[in-house]
Amino acid sequence: MVELTVQMKIKKDSNTAWSDALHIISKGGLVIAPTDTVYGALVDATNNRAVQRLINLKDRQPGKAISIFVSNLSMMRQYVYVLKKNERLLSNLLPGPFTTILKSRQKVVSLLESERKTLGVRIPAYKAICGLVEKYGKPITATSANLSGHRSHYSVKSILQQLSRTKKELIDFIIDGGTLPKNKPSTIVDMTESSLKILRQGDALLSTASYVISKSPSQTKQIAQDTISRHIHLAEKKPLVFILQGEMGTGKTIFVKGAASFLGVDDIISPTFVVSYEYPVNNKAAKNLVHADLFYIDEKQEFQYLGFEKQLIPQTILCIEWGEKTGDIYNTLKEKSTIVHIEMTHISEFERGIRIW
Amino acid sequence: MVIVAIDTSCDETSVAVTKGRRVLATSIYSQVLIHKKWGGVVPSLAKRAHEERIDLVFEDAMTKYKRAIKSDKKFPVDYIAVTQGPGLAVALEVGIKKAKELSRMYGRKIIAVNHLEGHIYSPFVQNREGNPTRDFTFPCMALVISGGHTQIIGMPGHVTYNIIGETIDDAAGEALDKAAKMLGLGYPGGPIIERLAHEVGNVDPYRFPRPMVKNPDLNLSFSGLKTSLYYFLRNLAEEEKTRRIREIVSSFQEAVFDSILIKTEKAMRQTGIRHIIAGGGVTANMRLRKKLRKLAKKNSATVLFPPYPYLTGDNAAMIGVAAYYKVKKNIFVKNTDSLDRIPRFSL
Repeated sequence: MVELTVQMKIKKDSNTAWSDALHIISKGGLVIAPTDTVYGALVDATNNRAVQRLINLKDRQPGKAISIFVSNLSMMRQYVYVLKKNERLLSNLLPGPFTTILKSRQKVVSLLESERKTLGVRIPAYKAICGLVEKYGKPITATSANLSGHRSHYSVKSILQQLSRTKKELIDFIIDGGTLPKNKPSTIVDMTESSLKILRQGDALLSTASYVISKSPSQTKQIAQDTISRHIHLAEKKPLVFILQGEMGTGKTIFVKGAASFLGVDDIISPTFVVSYEYPVNNKAAKNLVHADLFYIDEKQEFQYLGFEKQLIPQTILCIEWGEKTGDIYNTLKEKSTIVHIEMTHISEFERGIRIW
Repeated sequence: MVIVAIDTSCDETSVAVTKGRRVLATSIYSQVLIHKKWGGVVPSLAKRAHEERIDLVFEDAMTKYKRAIKSDKKFPVDYIAVTQGPGLAVALEVGIKKAKELSRMYGRKIIAVNHLEGHIYSPFVQNREGNPTRDFTFPCMALVISGGHTQIIGMPGHVTYNIIGETIDDAAGEALDKAAKMLGLGYPGGPIIERLAHEVGNVDPYRFPRPMVKNPDLNLSFSGLKTSLYYFLRNLAEEEKTRRIREIVSSFQEAVFDSILIKTEKAMRQTGIRHIIAGGGVTANMRLRKKLRKLAKKNSATVLFPPYPYLTGDNAAMIGVAAYYKVKKNIFVKNTDSLDRIPRFSL
């Protein structure tokens, strides 16, 4: 049962609810509201007392960092140091379900920073939050509205069930956005060291990003499924070609396996030995999948003989491994099909960078 | 029952004339030398070479056969067998076109054979005198281990196949070829690795992982092994790479073969089958044969390999023998015109 005192503070998701939230946050209040991932607990990231309340609500251990929402990249630069080498990546990832860890300029409450003086920053692909932060002009905390170490919440009811009476007293206002889709919390990318590190893997690996890090073959497959699901409608009008580039062992065949499983094809094996395999597909937008591997191909003129041109018809999906070798035929592909580039790189023995464009 | 069989699935153009399990004549034109220069099978060269050679190879086999039976008939053959797949599409097309042409010209039925069926039947192919005389014992378990395939197949009887385990990514032969390529050893990599490993007594000092062994199913995977070699080499000093190349490839080969052995043993336990037949290019490897024989002995099982070296590679003789058992079951191509290659043909 939800207590009356708490219910008084709940408003259904609406423009007025968000203006109320803005007002309450500016007074140092704590607001629970839907975000692009899960229900979040929002306070002014520059207000010491407000942050302290948030930490009390979450039972957060001191020293454990809490991320902030900013509204855009230029606002981001005011609160963290953005290195030139990370600029392109950041513009690929954000806005999106990613938390980027960067060196703090120490302009927010220090309780939000890690011991290394780093700060997690999010630009959500979520109009209400971005609008709120933009209007407020200061960063707002981006943390899930659950106790530390507990599962995330997708409905207000589940938040309230978890909290004790004293904890509920800490909440000033709740925006009820109904039951949220079961997205995982954001993917956390640490950019403070020479190589990127994924500290937590979220769900929507690619929803808006074109660079992701996979930590396992099954994640690579998931990324492939996301990628094909976002592009498959294009195959209806024009053949859709995925050109996969990357050194041996980066997981190109794994990626194709993931993409193929989205199409209901589960018996993909490496086509290296015979160069190319075809699979019939039963999908609204695609009827045929071609999986080719140009590992053994060194000469450009070889491509004329592969018969790819014959296969460049609508409702066909071509996955070409070792795609950088397509050379001259690249122009033909470009002319007749929609090309999606997948570039895979070794990060460590178990991690792969996947860039999609 | 005399069958003329054609196989152009990859880089060999091959025609054989068989009678039952006996090979009366065979002719193979290998493209390995062509592809060696390129470090792998090259589709255009393969297609061109098949197109250029198919008539010559066919005539050669037929001439040998007619001479052997002292016949001057134009086409003293009952059926035509051809590999429909799996294989390189542009290569398969050449063989199928030839089979259709012969079928139309002489009015003979076509038997479409899966290339893997050929490898499965290869241990039972006999020479002209009918040797070796070994016979089938069902149920048996077939291992196809080649550059393009790695499968464990249960066979309750003739022309009946249940795939009980297979690679989920690279084939065993492909893993060896890619390892050879990473080490700059040339193509095809398998035989080179076998020789280098033999020179150091097939030692295994580097203990690469045996993939999928903890997995309860019978599937195999070699792409992770390839990745672990990649990282191993990346962290190794150039000097050690050169000095210890034999030990490295030997260790890698042991890892590949052990994975096959582990799953084969598991398959024997799960199915209770104790008769193993093995075919495919990698079964030419003497180290693998030795390991499989040892495994069979340990499990009181039998294991049979292709009796002649040419039968481990791609060849039409095994296609003819597999076709013979299909004829006995009345399995023919119904409509010759619509016969088409199936590059990813499954058993």
